Amino acid sequence: MLAIDVKDLRKQFNVQKNREGLSGALKDLFKREYTEVTAVKDISFQIPQGEICGYIGENGAGKSTTIKMLTGILVPTAGDLRVNGYVPYKDREKFVAEIGVVFGQRSQLWWDIGVIESFQLLRKVYRVSEADFRKRLNNLIERLDLGDLLNRPVRKLSLGQRMRCELVASLLHNPSILFLDEPTIGLDIIVKTEIREFLKDLNREEGTTILLTTHDLQDIEALCSRVIMLDDGRIIYDGGLEDLKNRWSKGREIHFEFSTQTKLATLQALTGDLDVTWKMDNDLTATMWLPHAINVSDALSKVVGGAAIQDIKIVETNTDEIVREIYRSGSASTESEQQAALKETTVS
Amino acid sequence: MLYAQLFWEYIKNYAKTRLTYRMDFWIEILSDMMFQFMNLIFILIVFRHTPSLGGWSEAEVVFVYGFFMIPYGIFSTFFSIWNFSERYIVKGEMDRILTRPAHNLFQVLLENVDPPSLIGSVVGAIIMFVCWGELGLPFHVMDIVLLAVFVIGAVLVYAGIYTALSAISFYSDAPTGIVPLMYNIQNYGRYPVNIYNKMIRFVLTWLLPFAFVGVIPASYFLEKKADDLSQLALLTPVVGLVFFTLGLLLWNHGVKRYRGAGS
Repeated sequence: MLAIDVKDLRKQFNVQKNREGLSGALKDLFKREYTEVTAVKDISFQIPQGEICGYIGENGAGKSTTIKMLTGILVPTAGDLRVNGYVPYKDREKFVAEIGVVFGQRSQLWWDIGVIESFQLLRKVYRVSEADFRKRLNNLIERLDLGDLLNRPVRKLSLGQRMRCELVASLLHNPSILFLDEPTIGLDIIVKTEIREFLKDLNREEGTTILLTTHDLQDIEALCSRVIMLDDGRIIYDGGLEDLKNRWSKGREIHFEFSTQTKLATLQALTGDLDVTWKMDNDLTATMWLPHAINVSDALSKVVGGAAIQDIKIVETNTDEIVREIYRSGSASTESEQQAALKETTVS
Repeated sequence: MLYAQLFWEYIKNYAKTRLTYRMDFWIEILSDMMFQFMNLIFILIVFRHTPSLGGWSEAEVVFVYGFFMIPYGIFSTFFSIWNFSERYIVKGEMDRILTRPAHNLFQVLLENVDPPSLIGSVVGAIIMFVCWGELGLPFHVMDIVLLAVFVIGAVLVYAGIYTALSAISFYSDAPTGIVPLMYNIQNYGRYPVNIYNKMIRFVLTWLLPFAFVGVIPASYFLEKKADDLSQLALLTPVVGLVFFTLGLLLWNHGVKRYRGAGS
């Protein structure tokens, strides 16, 4: 069964136009002008149950707007939307009882009371029985190592502690889908890793479908079997992370360290028949860039024969760079142009 | 049943939060009392200059004021959503409310309950019963039932108007100055409406029926006047239901237009 089924989803906002200067402000007072901004432009995707899907894109690409429509907070302008078999904004109260939501920038917990009191209140809101609640809470406390935090008020917790508590709060009612909007924002690397591990276990053991937005691609690499990339309200990529890397990374770099001084011209001559580019970092080190079409061992064998090599390092383009590249080109060109560019790279 | 349980949980949490800031709690009660006391003094000063106000004696006007304090106290306890637009719309806390399985208005109200305001109701009841004795009004057991019905109706009138006012934030971008305006208008309802001109009277009775929160139901217990307001008294629960329904409809419609804040 599909956990999330989205078809031609669109969301438009009327944004008030503010005219310049005092006279503009006066004009606005009597006759307002609105510009229609389309935050999400007819996107379609489907997420099967039990999948962890990453939802990425630049700031303002429409990620949060989509999540808010999927969780029933916003009513879409057009399109079909089914989550867990419900139309979120229509049967909201029934629907939200089966999902969990964590907004990294906003707290679900009550500021002034102990964490455990917030949990108790949520237990009542979600109508969880005392026995189930105890069982789940103990389990979650143990996993996320929260034992001694429970009686502290939220305002006295660190961000990492708070975020772990937020996760517990969103899972007390055993939701079948978990929506996470930037769950690791501002956290240190230890807490990030802990949260990633926890989410992975949760998905494996309970089969919870997870949709998360993030700016940290390591979250995606650690968790997601699938990424949906959004740019300016449109989906520009939907598929596996490996696939994304293979399609978008154009090549790799090999760093050489030589034991004797080596000239750029010498190196270029050695690899003259291959389509590689050289860059000298200094007299003893150089970087060779080679496209995927060329075998690393082929390129290496040419160099090994003609230069005294001390050390070699092969560097794959990392996801950060790939995504940065896509964001940059994505906002500058249309989808079809990207498709064409894609084909070009795979051919060469 | 669920809502009753939730209500109790929220009150418990309210108590826990507030009792940690003890001073604040007492200061709030004190300032509430001062405010109501000043209003009462105002009435007393007016009557130093004139023996009657549009045919109403001092004790009668104070009686009306006492009655008004009862629904007003209850309303302030459960509907202290003055900062709704600021807190829930501008800061986007409505997001959190909407992802929980209980009616959103109910959740907003519960998060803002303010039980100390109930003390105002108690004081109001005391004032009313003192005046009751002073005016030598007859007392029937039925009066208690009617009083309860009137109070509930009056609370609903208030609740409906302020729910509708809060719902405006869903439609309008910026928080409007309409709440302070309304706050001024509502004060007219505590005085005999026949002292105002026809226009204001009509508005206070049918459009913004603040007269149904004070003078109209209270006049039911008083001696009949020339233009018998007490005939309208029995309409109080009806007007309450109508206005609360309208407020709730506007709210429910407004929630669909909620746009969230930021990213």
